[in-house]
Amino acid sequence: MGRPENDSVDRRSFLKVAAAGTAALVTSPAGGAPPELPHRNASAPILPKPPVADAGASAEVLTVDRPGSDFMVDVLKSLDFEYLCANPGNSYRSLHESLINYGGNKAPEFITCCHEESSVAMGHGYAKIEGKPLLVCVHGTVGLQHASMAIYDAFCDRVPVYIVLGNFSDAGVRYGQVDWTHAAQDPAAMIRDFVKWDDNPLSLQGFAEAGVRAYKIAMTPPTMPVALVAGRELQERPIPENSNLTVPRLVMTSPPAGDPGAVSEVARLLVAAENPVLVTDRVARTPAGLAGLIELAEVLQASVIDRNGRMNFPTRHPLNQTERAEATIADADVIAGLELTDFWSSVNSVHGQVWPESRPTTKPGAKLISITANDLYMKSNYQDFQRYQPMDIAIAADGEATLPSLVEAVKLQITGDRKRLFADRGVKLAKGHQQAMQQSRDLATSGWDASPISTARMSAELWAQIKDEDWSLVSNCKFVNRWPLRLWSFDKHYQYIGNEGGYGIGYGAPAAVGAALANRKHGRLTVAIQNDGDLMFAPGVLWTAAHSRIPLLIIMHNNRAYHQELMQVQIMANQHSRGITRATLGTTLVDPPIDYSKLAQSMGVHGEGPISDPQDLAPAIKRAIEVVKGGDPALVDVLTQPR
Amino acid sequence: MARWNSVVVALMLMAACPCVEAQNSAEKPSAPKTAGSVENGKRYFASAGCITCHGPQGHGTALAPQISPPPLELQAVIGYVRQPTGKMPAIPSSTVSDQELTDIYAFLKSITPAAEAAPTAAGDAANGKKLFSAYGCYECHDRQGQGASTGPRIGPPRISLAAVLHYVRAPTGQMPPYTAKVVSDQDLADIYAFLSSFPPPVPSTSIPLLNP
Repeated sequence: MGRPENDSVDRRSFLKVAAAGTAALVTSPAGGAPPELPHRNASAPILPKPPVADAGASAEVLTVDRPGSDFMVDVLKSLDFEYLCANPGNSYRSLHESLINYGGNKAPEFITCCHEESSVAMGHGYAKIEGKPLLVCVHGTVGLQHASMAIYDAFCDRVPVYIVLGNFSDAGVRYGQVDWTHAAQDPAAMIRDFVKWDDNPLSLQGFAEAGVRAYKIAMTPPTMPVALVAGRELQERPIPENSNLTVPRLVMTSPPAGDPGAVSEVARLLVAAENPVLVTDRVARTPAGLAGLIELAEVLQASVIDRNGRMNFPTRHPLNQTERAEATIADADVIAGLELTDFWSSVNSVHGQVWPESRPTTKPGAKLISITANDLYMKSNYQDFQRYQPMDIAIAADGEATLPSLVEAVKLQITGDRKRLFADRGVKLAKGHQQAMQQSRDLATSGWDASPISTARMSAELWAQIKDEDWSLVSNCKFVNRWPLRLWSFDKHYQYIGNEGGYGIGYGAPAAVGAALANRKHGRLTVAIQNDGDLMFAPGVLWTAAHSRIPLLIIMHNNRAYHQELMQVQIMANQHSRGITRATLGTTLVDPPIDYSKLAQSMGVHGEGPISDPQDLAPAIKRAIEVVKGGDPALVDVLTQPR
Repeated sequence: MARWNSVVVALMLMAACPCVEAQNSAEKPSAPKTAGSVENGKRYFASAGCITCHGPQGHGTALAPQISPPPLELQAVIGYVRQPTGKMPAIPSSTVSDQELTDIYAFLKSITPAAEAAPTAAGDAANGKKLFSAYGCYECHDRQGQGASTGPRIGPPRISLAAVLHYVRAPTGQMPPYTAKVVSDQDLADIYAFLSSFPPPVPSTSIPLLNP
């Protein structure tokens, strides 16, 4: 590489680049002082300096016209990422600069995050709306450690997130404490148990191939996070002259569909069944899965139980029997689990407190069928694969991809007599559905005017304000008794995105922001019912929402506690017959209570509350919606019942 | 085994451990075609074998609690029979249909309840309110006992104080025990008085937000 005509910085500049492109950075000793002038130490640059054209000029090269990170951006741009969510880190500083300058900060656009867990969880929520991953960059050590729980959640939830890890790969050019403590021989080792694939390429061409392969692997069902190391030296050294780097073309793998013979047998069982039940958690990977499940259920007039890991089936469809799941399972003679995460719990119940025992909830002779991509890829250390459930037919394939052939196989086997029987069954199921919905409404009236506000009341008030909008609920309903799923009408794929996956709390707020980011260009009103404890893990994501103008309506479910754990400790106190008044120690957020309205305002988010009178809910929600329709996030703090 | 009031059935049906995702508190199968027949219900109660555990009048035995009169609504009883959470075996509709259960329900409703022990002292609702919070009852049943996915509605109570006293010492579902070591009968009487101070929920048809 030739020497520049002019030094781009003074000779006493802080950064010198080795003639051959070796970068060296000397940081100050521990204590936080600004970086020192870099200096050459005893270990010579790895590559020789190029010949100096002018013997009288400086021998030092201070600029790099084409750093390796520019080519990395070429690779990443070929994968069509919309956004990069990241907290800055010096281990990927060159890639960062290339993204914002060479890449024009577009596709991907840099979304600044205050915590790496937020970066990954934003990717988690985004992917469930948009159907493709975000790009995330983290420090390979400390950043990755922050990010790890969010990666685990995405892994358990079978959601793709594309994570680039910066690393100080070459020990020969680590200068100072940060370089060493932020370096690892195998950066992805700590997350290898819960990513689908990872790589540490040693060349730019290697980065290109690994980069494209990583995307393909992440997006092939079962979809999961992937990680790719970008060594800092590889980022910062110039692209070699006359190099012939190419970015391979991305060709997506078709999702695995079920074996035709097995699918035909499944169809036979379903058609012959008196009470077939379809149980699903994540079959609707995309809107096509929702449509496919509706078609299958309707052609069979079968019960559908939706475990709501995704928006799989319309909540007000007459065949939806989710609110009477136990009775439905008890009566079933054929149960087909479609991407059902926890089949065992769907067909077994647990009894006993100190010495729990289980027993099946199905009637004798009921046939069990499973169609899931999880059977194609399963890791062993983390136990998210759930308890082993024997099946009559197990098809290792993607549920959504198998639905079309299953529907066709069912149609081929239906006779006139079966059609008439199906019609009668459909009438009964519709009645059961209506009664279950009415029962939910009846149960919602308990504590209707209570203070703290009942979660049913809060959900109903919120529904009244959003039902005529193009809305999307991006939070887990479990902690509010599933009231939105029981009272609202869900019929579009983006209207519900399920839960944490790994039940790692702290997912909620950033996933909501990530989902809202995806919804933004579609003009949707994104809504999240936000648990207080969850928000407190990394509340800085509120600032990200404000800064990046991500419209999101946040309704706090503020019960002032880590309530799940409070109940767990209460159970223990009761079992031990002692201290039953002390379970609040270590589990509550009181004295002082946190003011989420002020917290939001401090980060540039419209904030109101705390609201404890249910009469005040409607006007507050209305004001907040106006803010969100203007393109900004808004938060309403609501003091709620515990559940 | 002491007689239990029929609310035990409700508690067993509705109580759910916080550590598992609770399903909807009561199941609603398809509506039977006609209202229940007491005469048929008495016959089915015997022929289906219910009397073996619950006694001929549903007053309970050592094997199973009292279920007359039934403390739950009909649909909740039908749901529980299909998916019991205690020791009762599940009874599918192929064994006892919804209509037959409706008849049994009518029969049980027609039976005069057995006499129960009166509480030793009237409860102090104000103290009961403090205890309801201090003892953690609100954690699963919410602040006014209105119920949640973690515990059924108990405010106002649908069972007698005697039944409550018995059940909380040895719950059969997922509710943790409140033994006499940690909660006295008087404390429970106070809590009962507090819960009794709440009005029953209004019909959902009277709330416009629930009928958009």
